[in-house]
Amino acid sequence: MKGSFLWRNRVVFTTGLLLLIALHFLSTGVRPEARANKPSLVLMEAVKPLLVVESQMADDASDFLHNYFDLVSVHQENLRLEQQVAQLEGQQRRMVELEAENRHLADLLELRDALDTTAIAANVIGSDATGLSRTLMLSEGDRQGLRRDMAVISINGVVGKLIAVSHDAARVLLVSDHNSALDAFDQRSRARGIVAGVVEDGLAMKYVDRSEDIKPGDMIVTSGLDGIFPRGLLVGTVARVSKERPGLFLNVEVKAAVDFRELEQVMILTTRVPAPSVQNNG
Amino acid sequence: MPDLVLILAVDLGMRHPRALTALMAFAMGYAVDAFSGVELGLNALLLTVVFIFAYWLSRVLISASTAVGVMAVFVGVVFSDVGNYLISSGLAPADRLHVLMPAVLIQAAVTALLTPSVFQITGWGARMVGLRMHGASR
Repeated sequence: MKGSFLWRNRVVFTTGLLLLIALHFLSTGVRPEARANKPSLVLMEAVKPLLVVESQMADDASDFLHNYFDLVSVHQENLRLEQQVAQLEGQQRRMVELEAENRHLADLLELRDALDTTAIAANVIGSDATGLSRTLMLSEGDRQGLRRDMAVISINGVVGKLIAVSHDAARVLLVSDHNSALDAFDQRSRARGIVAGVVEDGLAMKYVDRSEDIKPGDMIVTSGLDGIFPRGLLVGTVARVSKERPGLFLNVEVKAAVDFRELEQVMILTTRVPAPSVQNNG
Repeated sequence: MPDLVLILAVDLGMRHPRALTALMAFAMGYAVDAFSGVELGLNALLLTVVFIFAYWLSRVLISASTAVGVMAVFVGVVFSDVGNYLISSGLAPADRLHVLMPAVLIQAAVTALLTPSVFQITGWGARMVGLRMHGASR
């Protein structure tokens, strides 16, 4: 049988038969549901587990990709938000700074109104770098109406006087400089003296008679006799009084009312203050 | 989309030309008909013809290499798609075939490109189960 013509050409006969069967199916044209359903249903059932697994894998892959892209965009969003936060923090710091400056200027305005004089506010833009003299640079100059020997004060007290003025800047000689001299008196005892800076640091009230009554804690204020500072501006408080050195006068150490290292805004009194009439101490 | 079923039919016809594999090609076509909802027998017929074509190639050529297989797949896809269109539309609007051809050619090219890989996989599978291949592809 194996050697027979049919067996030798079994592939040809089989394919021919299959072609006939396929043509027969086609020639019937319509797809009767009864004939088509069973094989398709069986095939559907057989393939269903594979389709379920494939669908699950496709969903997992899709979720993974979406999560990855979401993470990337979240990371970028994170960077953007961090930058924004840094910007906002910077703005907030500037606002806090502006608020503080505003408060200082408001206090200076209040002081000007209390003194009943004309004044110009200025920012401190520098100090003496050498440390040999105690001076400050201001942001205003003669274009804004400043002149030499004008008084410079702050809300806490006397700062100094202008010693040099250019178009848009001015230099202040602080009261703590050893070249400075300020006529002042003890507000409690009315003892008079000259307040000057000392080389080491701080202020000293000179030429106070040994008999005068000055105690630590007394407030030292301007007398107004120099024609530069109005009367009654706080210079400082007495820190120490000693009679150790021989001579006619007391050694009075004064602690300045103003912290010159932390000055940011000052006021320059542009109206010259008339010196009060001299009164006898009684 | 590459026609993997057709690649298998060509592989069966070229490298495993037996009555059983002819039946398998027919069954694959029938399964495609059952799932795709076209007229029953359409893909069964076309895949059987492709199988016969691949079988004929394996008989006339001394060595049925992979390159021959790739060409057979290309021709088979074109034949199958055109035949599918013509028979489904009742052999009438052959004048609209030129609209279909670009897509058919692209599918044929994509399927042909995939052929060597599929042949490799089926070759491994055949060797694993101990099947002897006709017309070894080098």
